[in-house]
Formats: sequence, structure tokens, C-alpha cells
Amino acid sequence: MADNAPSAPEDLELDPVYLHTRREATFILVLWICCFCYTTTYCYLNGYLSHEAHRNPTGPAIGAVLGDLETMNRDLESLSTPLGLGIPDWVFYGIVIPWALCILITFWFCFFYYVEDDLEAEATGDPETAELHG
Amino acid sequence: MTWRRKPPGILKRLNCMAETQTATIITFVVYVLATFVLAGFSHKLLSKKSFLGEYFLGSRGLGSWALAFTFAATSSSGGSFTGFPSLIYSYGWVLALWIASYMVFPICTMGILGKRINQVARKTGAITIPDVLRDRFNSTPLALVATCAIIFFTTCNLVAQFKAGALIIEETFNLPPAWGYEVGLLLFAGTVIFYTAYGGFRAVVWTDVMQGVVMGIGIAILLPIVIWKGGGLAEINKLNRTRPPTLVTAIPGDDYNDLVLRARGDPYPAGLDYHRSSQADTPLTLSWAPGDDIESAVIEVFLGTDSEGNVTSTGNDVKKAIEEHPQLKQLVDVEYPFENNEIQMDADGNRVELGATGRILLAGGKETESFAFLRGDEALFGPGRNHKGDPFLPLGLMLSFFFMWAITGMGQPGTMVRLMAFKESRTLKRAILTVTVYYGFIYLPLVFIFVAARNMLPQLTAEHSDKAMVLVSTRVVAEMGLGFQILGAIFIAAPFAAVMSTVDSFLLLISSGIVRDVYQRTINPRVSERTMKHLSYTVTVVIGIVVMLLATYPPAFLQRIIVFTGGGFASSFLCPMLLGLYWRGMTASGALSSMIGGFVIIVTLFAPSLFGASRIDILGMHPIIWGLTGSFTLGIVVSKLTGPAPDSLIQRYFYRPKSRP
Repeated sequence: MADNAPSAPEDLELDPVYLHTRREATFILVLWICCFCYTTTYCYLNGYLSHEAHRNPTGPAIGAVLGDLETMNRDLESLSTPLGLGIPDWVFYGIVIPWALCILITFWFCFFYYVEDDLEAEATGDPETAELHG
Repeated sequence: MTWRRKPPGILKRLNCMAETQTATIITFVVYVLATFVLAGFSHKLLSKKSFLGEYFLGSRGLGSWALAFTFAATSSSGGSFTGFPSLIYSYGWVLALWIASYMVFPICTMGILGKRINQVARKTGAITIPDVLRDRFNSTPLALVATCAIIFFTTCNLVAQFKAGALIIEETFNLPPAWGYEVGLLLFAGTVIFYTAYGGFRAVVWTDVMQGVVMGIGIAILLPIVIWKGGGLAEINKLNRTRPPTLVTAIPGDDYNDLVLRARGDPYPAGLDYHRSSQADTPLTLSWAPGDDIESAVIEVFLGTDSEGNVTSTGNDVKKAIEEHPQLKQLVDVEYPFENNEIQMDADGNRVELGATGRILLAGGKETESFAFLRGDEALFGPGRNHKGDPFLPLGLMLSFFFMWAITGMGQPGTMVRLMAFKESRTLKRAILTVTVYYGFIYLPLVFIFVAARNMLPQLTAEHSDKAMVLVSTRVVAEMGLGFQILGAIFIAAPFAAVMSTVDSFLLLISSGIVRDVYQRTINPRVSERTMKHLSYTVTVVIGIVVMLLATYPPAFLQRIIVFTGGGFASSFLCPMLLGLYWRGMTASGALSSMIGGFVIIVTLFAPSLFGASRIDILGMHPIIWGLTGSFTLGIVVSKLTGPAPDSLIQRYFYRPKSRP
């Protein structure tokens, strides 16, 4: 997003903690978007008995824009439970597997991407020594 | 929301105090005493350190474990262990999708804001969230509006949490319905108010750690036991497939009046309609004319009235009428759901079942109330249906909830304030890892447990489904024998811990807002530490008592309130905080308008549900989507119009002096 803030004096530079956290936040948002797209799409297409554009008491529903998905309706006979765990297939592939992957990605993020910044560098010490504005 | 007080029962109930497990009571008492001990230790520290920073923020010294568990326990509210199990009990596997964004919840909620909010809070010495906003934007009005929003949403949430705590105690100790809820409420409130007010933030964090461990252990033990008892998930799914289609009525009234209709085979009716007659002196009548198509036909029940036109028919009358109907008695069996089969002791001490003796009063003066039969296999797939036959998780809500947990989780002041309290950035890293693993072993297992427990529990109405977790502990596990009674007690402590850990944090959130943001920083900046100390204790206790009094008339559905307040917090706080920390162009006016805009949108869209109607889901999407959209739009547009932001603020929060080569 373009800043409408003034440019800083030449004796200042962008705070590295700010830069690191912004980079980390961007990675996390991309991860969230990937999970959102995969899980919701997979589960909606593979885990619903009905894909009617369900009525919404206060107006049209977003499901209407997807058109007719009746051919994707699940039926009881098609249900399988991978690896004999008793977890329905759509839950296993749509939620359990990505959940496990997210745990692994979080480990990678914390050990290889996250920067251990020195937060004390600019601390003012005791919380109660703050300036009292207003 | 429907405000419905538990009806004062006048009859004795089976399995009263005599059946209460001694092990459960002992474990419970030990657990509560442990929280008092921790509060005592914490109180000692208060006298050694600067009071306000220690009381409300633990002197910014949280380590990895403390941060992880206080964050996890605070996020896992009563909703996680009462409302969420109740939904799994009602709708089955689709709840795994409902909660799925918890796969990225810890990294989103802690990773995006954590390090940055901690850094900014350190720069200014902020103790509360309004403190951070006030300093970042140099705006007192923004801080005061933030405090008001915190008080409003937190109070709503606390009422629901107090209800959850009271219900757990009532069910655990098997207290009689006549006064069980009130006594449970008093015990819960007394415990949590005492240790929170006495020990402050550090007591809350220490008890959170203990509670987090209890929750984890509870789930870890509960999972294999319940699944084993159900014969494995595969067997449980088979049982769900073959479960007869069931209809549960849910009608408010002056006493127990709900019924369960189970189909005896295929075909079965589509549903049942209650009709209120506008005429006086009419008898109860049934209408059943299916023609050739039973599956699309509905059982019509016309309720009887007295000479003044008031409904006189009870659940018992409807049951009798169906059982005497020549065709219907072949199609359905009628039973009483949990807690709708009143029992009285007669003069000879014999138990006499009275059944559903309450009159059937249709809510809000409605003429007709409809209910649907639900098939067992619907619990294996989405979207799930409620007792009215409406889908539980249609596409719009499914997208909304995935968005909601992880994204709105960032905007909760109760968790944000914990991110201001950790010691160093390494602490945050370890805490993210810990909570990620912890949640992975909490939320999916909860789905497995309650899908498995569905067939072992009595049939619950929507109103009583909040008791699913406690019933699993007291009726499924504890019944297995003496050793399991102790485990049952631990399981009950888990939801109790979850409720307590949220309540204590929220109590401090409100009192810090009043004491620090309103009084010290706005009204009397020169106030003495001694006065602040007394004020902090007093305000915490008073807030607790006020909420306890409000909770004597609790909301019907905990999860609805918790979702409302979570959405309200996010719509009000996420934009000002996120853009305030990362966007140099954000101005005080932009932050203020985004906060007020988000607040107004969320309250407006939820308002109809306060009066018994449906909340407004524009395009079928949850109000939180619109609350956040409106809040971010206002924040950006108003900042562009009122910018640029003052140089001094930008330089202070986004720059540092150039390092010399």
C-alpha cells in the first residue's frame, strides 16, 4: 500500500524490526491464503451432501454464483475412510493432511525464516515511565 | 439472542446429590485451591514490583511456556469446551471444516502482530491495548472509544462465559434444577473474581498455564477412551449411517415441553409443525394426510386453547396424541429429550415420571413453528442441518468461518495484550511452535471425541446441547468404574479451566481499561500508586459482581454470543492495530473511523438476533466479513483524506537513527 507519510530525514533509516516483521507477516498471509483456497474448495466439492444455493433469509447467497454443482453432491455409498482411521475421506484430505503440513511449515518458519530481533534495544524500561499523552 | 432463564423446577430429579462422584468433587476442589495458591504467590510479587505494570502486564516478563499457555488458554474459551462440542454433537464431521482455519491460527495470530506490537508497546511503555493506540496515534478520543468497545464486547462475552462456568458446576455436582444454576454461578464467580483480583495478571498467567496443561491432558486421555468405548471411528460412522431419522422440538416455555420423534423406518415424515389457534376453547388436534408421498408430508399439530385463547397443550398431550394416532404410531416413536422427563417422588417415595409437562408456547407470538427430521448420515458430510431443517454451514458461512478464526483471532484485545507481555523475540518463536502443536492436539481430537460420543449421549435439545462435554465426562467416562471417575473429574476440569482462563483475562481487560485508560491516563495522570492499587482491586471485583448478576439471566446459546463478541472485537480493533503497526500512512482519524465503523456494522448486522430474528448475512456471508471490510475501507480512505500522518509519530515508530558504518 502506498504511504501518504512524509519522507524521513537523511539521518534516519527504516527500523529493521519493522522490516523483518513486515516480511514475516507477508509470508504468513500467503500461507493463510493457500490454506483457505485449498481447504474450502476441496471440502466444498468433496464433502457436501448438497450444493444448493442455500436460501439466505436476508437476500441472495454467494453459492448462487457458482451455478449448478449438483453433480458434485456426495452420497453415502461413496464414503471412504483412508488408512482405516475412520476419518471420512473429505475430512482426511481436506483438513487433516493440510493441518499436519501447516504444523511442519510453522516449524520451518520459526527455525529458518523468523528473525530473532532485539526488542530491548529501544525499550524505555518500566511500563509506568511512559509519557502520558492527552 | 434469546434470553431465557432456566425454568425453576419444583420437582425432585433422579440421580441428585447422592449420585455425585466423590472423586469428581475432590479433584474439583483441589483444582480450585491450586488457583488460590497461585494467586497468593502472585500477590506477593505485586508488593515487590511496580504495581500497575505487574498487575496488568506481569512486568513484561513472560517466558515461552507462560506465553504459549496463557495465549492458548485465553483463546480457548468456554466456547471451545462447551459451545464447540455442542455443535459437533448436533452436526457431526462438518465441524472439522468449521474449525479448520485453526491449522494456521497460532502462526497468524501470534506471528503477524506479536513482535511488532511488543516492540511498539515497549517504546511507549504501554500496558493496555488502548494505551498502544493512544500512543501510536497520539489520540485520547481513540483510546477512550477503544476502552468503551472493550467494555461492551467483553461484558457480553463474560456473561456467556459465566453461564458456561455455572453450568459446568451445576452438572458436575448434580445440583437440583431449582437452585443449581444460581449456586453454580455463585461458586464460579467467587472463585474466579477472587484469584483474578487478588493476584492480577501474573496469577492469571500461572493459572492459565495450569489450566492449559489440564485441558491438554484432558483431551489426550479422553480421545482414546471415548473412541475405544464407541468401537472405533469406523464403527461410529456406521452407527451414524444407520441412526433413525430424528426430530427434536425446541420450544421455549414455562417448563419442560420438548419431545423427540424417531422414525421407525423408511419412509418417514418430512417434519412436524406446531400451529397456534387464534380461537378460544379449541382442543388439540393432529392432521396427517400424506397422500402417496409420506416423505414430503408434515405432521400438523394444532395446539389446544382455553377460554381466553391461551395455549393449554403440553408436550405430554402431543406425545399422547401421536401415540394414539392410527397411522402416526406406526411411523414414529415419541420420547423425551434429556432433562425433559421430569421425575417426582410420590408420597410413598416412588419415582413417578411426569414427562414434558410444560405448555407449548410458540416464541415471539408466532402462529407456526416448524421442525425437520434429520438423518443420521447427515452427520458424516456437510453442510449439516439444524432442527428447523436449515443448513448449518452453507458455502457463504463456510468461507466466512475459515476467514474468521485465523484473521479475527488477530484482532482480539485479550490475546493482543499477551503479545505485549513477552520477554524477547525468541520467546515468541518458541510460543508459536508450542501453540501450533498444542492446538493440533486439541481441536481435531475434540471433533473425533464428540463425533464418537454422539451415539452414547442422551438426546439433547438445542438448549441443553451445551452440556455435551460435561455429559461425556460424567455419564460416558465416569460410568466405567472407580479409576475412570478420577479421569472424568479431570475432563470436567478441562472445560472449567478453559472458561476460567478466559474469564480471568477478560476481567483484567475491563478493569485495566477503566483504571489505566480512563482514570489514570485521561482523568487524573498524577494519581498515586496507592490509589491505583486500591482502584484496581475494587474495579476488578465490582466488574465481576456486575457480570455475575447479568449472568443470572443468561443467553441461550453460548457460541452465538462468543462469535458475536469475537467478530465485534476484530471489526473494531484489527484494522487500527494492524495498519497502525505496518502502514505509515494511517492517521488518527482513519483509526478512529475504522474502529467506530467496524463496531457499528457488526452490531447492526447482529441486532436482529437480539430480538429473536436471524442476523443479517449479506450474500450469505457472516457479518464479520462485512465488519472487517467496512473497517479496513474506512481506515484506508479516511487516512488518505486526512493524511499525511505527523512526522514525529512516523519517525518514532517506523525509523531509527542510521547506524554508522
